[in-house]
Amino acid sequence: MVVGVAGPMAPARTPDTGTDESIDPDRPWVTIVWNDPVNLMTYVTFVLQDLFGYDEEKATTLMLQVHHEGRAIVSSGPRERMEHDTSRLHAYGLWASFQRDA
Amino acid sequence: MKPFRARSGQIVARLDPAEAGVLGMLLDQLEMLLESEDAAGDPVLARLLPEGNRGDAEAAAEYRELTETSLRSGKADDLAIVRAALPDGGGDVVLDDDQAAAWLRSTNDLRLALGTRLEIAEDTEPPEDVVDEESQQLAVYYWLTALQGSLVDALVARRAGRR
Repeated sequence: MVVGVAGPMAPARTPDTGTDESIDPDRPWVTIVWNDPVNLMTYVTFVLQDLFGYDEEKATTLMLQVHHEGRAIVSSGPRERMEHDTSRLHAYGLWASFQRDA
Repeated sequence: MKPFRARSGQIVARLDPAEAGVLGMLLDQLEMLLESEDAAGDPVLARLLPEGNRGDAEAAAEYRELTETSLRSGKADDLAIVRAALPDGGGDVVLDDDQAAAWLRSTNDLRLALGTRLEIAEDTEPPEDVVDEESQQLAVYYWLTALQGSLVDALVARRAGRR
């Protein structure tokens, strides 16, 4: 990911916190976003908030994990939903895939 | 250009004639690419229509069969919206919510396409001098980056303002 070359500072954090998407053993599929050199960090954060309803803090944490660790799990649940999440992320040009949770 | 900013419930920018011309040309190229058949051969198409499952070829094939057509047509719809709002010969770009979302996704697609062709990496830098075709394309890539970046920032600022 890259830092944008122009633009105002990010807005202040929202007061409410999002729910943690924990990995439930009864729902063994996950959606992963992979790092790539084109997508802007601000864009990835925005898309994660828009598609999953995460607050800014949660979305930023996930984005930074993608950036620094190469990948992050952005959702988990039944296979069909993960396929759907993957396709929504693909529509925004994020490099995403679904798989069984390790 | 005047980069994107939020103004009175809309998202606005101003493009000069050269910028509008380049953007129009890139949209045409992307449209042609999205209409072409072979996803496997072209690295740009491979990036725009990625594997849904990286470990399991069968799951990936199923996913592609289920989703590729609508992914392609979604991107084509977005770029049609961009083209419709692009002033011929430059000028003001004024977008509502739906148009802004289409511009967001399409400018990202354009950057992915150009970035893949140019083999952009994490440490790629803007060109110091625009002397040949490659540095010219690189300059266009960085201009698109600034354009998209300003659009993201405007949308983020507006969302914060609406709470």
